[in-house]
Amino acid sequence: MIALVLALVLSQNAARYTPAEARALFNEGNEAYGRQDYATAQSRYEQLIAAGFGGPEVLFNLGTTHLSAGQLGPAMLYLERARRHSSDEDIEANLAVARQRQGDQVVGAETAEPFLQRLAAAIDPQAVGVAFLFTWYLGFALALLAWQRAAGRWPLGLAAAGFLLIGSLLGAGVAVHASVTRSVIESIVIPETVKVRELPGDRARVAFEVHAGLKVRIIEETGRYVRIRLPNALEGWTEKEGLVEL
Amino acid sequence: MARTGSALRLIIAAALLLAPALAGAAEPEFYMTVDRARVGTEDTFSVDIVVGNAPEGSTIAFPAANDFEVLSRSETNQMSYSVGTGGTGVIKQLRRYSLILRANRAGTLTIPPATLKTSDRTYKTDSASLEVVKGRTRPEKPQRQAQNPFGLPPGFPQLHDPFEDDGPSVDVEVPRSDSDFFLRASLDKTEVFVGEQVMLSIIIYSQIDLASVDTVTMPKFEGFWTQDIQSPSQLSPERKVIDGVPYRAYLLRQKAMFPMKPGEMSIEAAEADINAGNIFSGRRAHRKSNALKLKVKALPGNTAAQNVGSWRLAMQATQTEVALGEPVQVKVQLEGRGNLQSVQVPALQVPAGLKRFDPQITDKPTVTKAGQVGGVRTIEYVMVPQQTGTFTLPGLTLPYFDPESKHFEESKTDPIVITVRPGAGGQATTSSPTTGDPTATADASAKNQLVAGGLRQVRATATFAPVKPPLWSRGFFVPLALAPVVLSLLSLGIGLARSVAGKTSPEALKRAQAKAARKRLAAAEKLLSSASPAAFYEEVERALRSFLEAKLNVPVIGLTRQALDAVMASHKVPESERRRVLAVFETCDLGRYAPGMGEPSARNRALDGAAVAMEKWA
Repeated sequence: MIALVLALVLSQNAARYTPAEARALFNEGNEAYGRQDYATAQSRYEQLIAAGFGGPEVLFNLGTTHLSAGQLGPAMLYLERARRHSSDEDIEANLAVARQRQGDQVVGAETAEPFLQRLAAAIDPQAVGVAFLFTWYLGFALALLAWQRAAGRWPLGLAAAGFLLIGSLLGAGVAVHASVTRSVIESIVIPETVKVRELPGDRARVAFEVHAGLKVRIIEETGRYVRIRLPNALEGWTEKEGLVEL
Repeated sequence: MARTGSALRLIIAAALLLAPALAGAAEPEFYMTVDRARVGTEDTFSVDIVVGNAPEGSTIAFPAANDFEVLSRSETNQMSYSVGTGGTGVIKQLRRYSLILRANRAGTLTIPPATLKTSDRTYKTDSASLEVVKGRTRPEKPQRQAQNPFGLPPGFPQLHDPFEDDGPSVDVEVPRSDSDFFLRASLDKTEVFVGEQVMLSIIIYSQIDLASVDTVTMPKFEGFWTQDIQSPSQLSPERKVIDGVPYRAYLLRQKAMFPMKPGEMSIEAAEADINAGNIFSGRRAHRKSNALKLKVKALPGNTAAQNVGSWRLAMQATQTEVALGEPVQVKVQLEGRGNLQSVQVPALQVPAGLKRFDPQITDKPTVTKAGQVGGVRTIEYVMVPQQTGTFTLPGLTLPYFDPESKHFEESKTDPIVITVRPGAGGQATTSSPTTGDPTATADASAKNQLVAGGLRQVRATATFAPVKPPLWSRGFFVPLALAPVVLSLLSLGIGLARSVAGKTSPEALKRAQAKAARKRLAAAEKLLSSASPAAFYEEVERALRSFLEAKLNVPVIGLTRQALDAVMASHKVPESERRRVLAVFETCDLGRYAPGMGEPSARNRALDGAAVAMEKWA
């Protein structure tokens, strides 16, 4: 119920800002950041995100503000979210700073993410989706034309095949993005320290601790506990309230 | 362990070798006085036994009773000379024994008489009755005799009363077992805040001379930060009076303690091995002090604050306008009372344009005469400007809790603005910039250094279009993507079904024939380059006739042009199509017989005409 009310309030807020008002709010946040009033800056950026203007720039600024304020967990969260929208050099640079300050060293971690995850991260779902639909329909249209024609079919047929092949590749990219987005749930540790237990439950033995800013993968969930996996395959159970999904 | 001054001994045989005073001395004078008639069990009182003109060889036995404990005993001698009748000089000798007693129980108790034994007889004093109540009666010093009881004549120097100048009275609980000398620990406060100073003193109280202290075992001060205030190497006595009893107080150790956490803190007993007496009649005893309790209160409200005391922060720079590469020294000074070691001075945040070197920190602890610990911490920052411009060193704020005012206070410094002007620039460096010596980098830093690194700054602009979910997550995406596939499959299926269902129908036969005609035309296309024009044109004509038979569903082979035109007209074929077909036949006739029609261009025209005729009709 509370969530519903919050969603309603947020949706009303979302409709409240015109782009000009959003820009003014964004500038207020930047000015507050400039005078090192990080709390005010965070408040302005969060207002924009709540209003539906959580683009990569706003997310990057919010993450950078948290990083400047020494709040590693939220910093990693918003920078990673910004990276999902648009990976660029600035985001990567500040993410590198945040990772350097992070307190955990995942020993034996793979240096790079799996191929499909990297591919999904590299795909712009909007652009690739539109390109897929365009080439897909064009290919079928050419194929239909080739089928209808008695003579001169081959050029049309070849063109249709080419477009259909490109469309299929783009469609595969869209499918990979959708699959990775749906199946790979990643979260960021927000509190300074989070206990990870061997089993779900308050009495289970604490296997290890993780600290703010660490990115973990959610494997499964039961009650208020989730099973997390670190990049080096180390696993354990922790309370989900200490994690925020990317 | 030896017990001195403990329970009453029945007789302390004090052999009195009284000097021969006067031959034919009078009766000895022998009496006992008590300074109070009502005492408490915690009070001490004084009993004086006076012997005058005691015969030679006489002995005195002090009153003995289990109801009393002798805490101390002292002895004074007085001699007086007077001229008696007949001008004979008379010397009078008085010996006074002062006992400090304490009652062991409440009730009406009797002090037995003291006894003086001479060679021929025994003298006894009167006994004395006391009313003893539990606890203390009143905190008053025992009454002393105001006048000289021995009636010295005027002009005689007054004898020293040892109780007259015994120093201040202190409230120390005297252990019953070690009343001759004992060890006591005390705190100057019983309740403090976390981080507030409390002074611990370990003192030996003694009624006898002490020679030395061999070993001192101090308690563990868990939960405290401590600092030695006094740890004398030699025993130095100070007179103190405890319940009217004079003691020598030897300060053994004095420590300033700062509790680090709230709660009821315990301080264990200290222990010492003490050598008493002198080299001829000394003894060694082990003494243990009392344990102590201290109530430590948490700081009110803001528990995050850690600085306690009274502090003042100051910051100053050697110069506020410098050339590029010229070092600037900024001195931050903290001064005040409290535990200097635990004070956390905020670090100076230096703008990116100034290169800061590790600060040099100097602590100068101080202790006031009253034992208050404090000090001065000096933090010297050296920074070298890397860029020109105006840089502001932010002011520092030190929050602290003042236990005296019981409030949180803040000591703030003003920001310092440093202006860096361009230096000489381009000077050759003569020393390595990696030495860590800021002055060594001065020449190297004479240029405006623009160094990348650190956090990337926030974006100044942004697009404010609402964030859309991925296209694939929209409801229409999957149906839209599958639509052409489904439609293609559907049309293929329909076509297949129709072809299967209509293979024997006249229309299907017509379509098959038309298709065959088109194939024949395709075969004629292969004869384009053949040597025989007749074969090419015949093939084109046959293909077109087959097409017409399929379309018109009548045999057309052998028909004249006019008959064929009539048949087509009867089937409502448009005139333009009829003319196009007839033109192709005409071309084929010409191609077979007329010279020059074997050229590739003519053949192409015939082929194209037949194809167009078929396409347009289809």
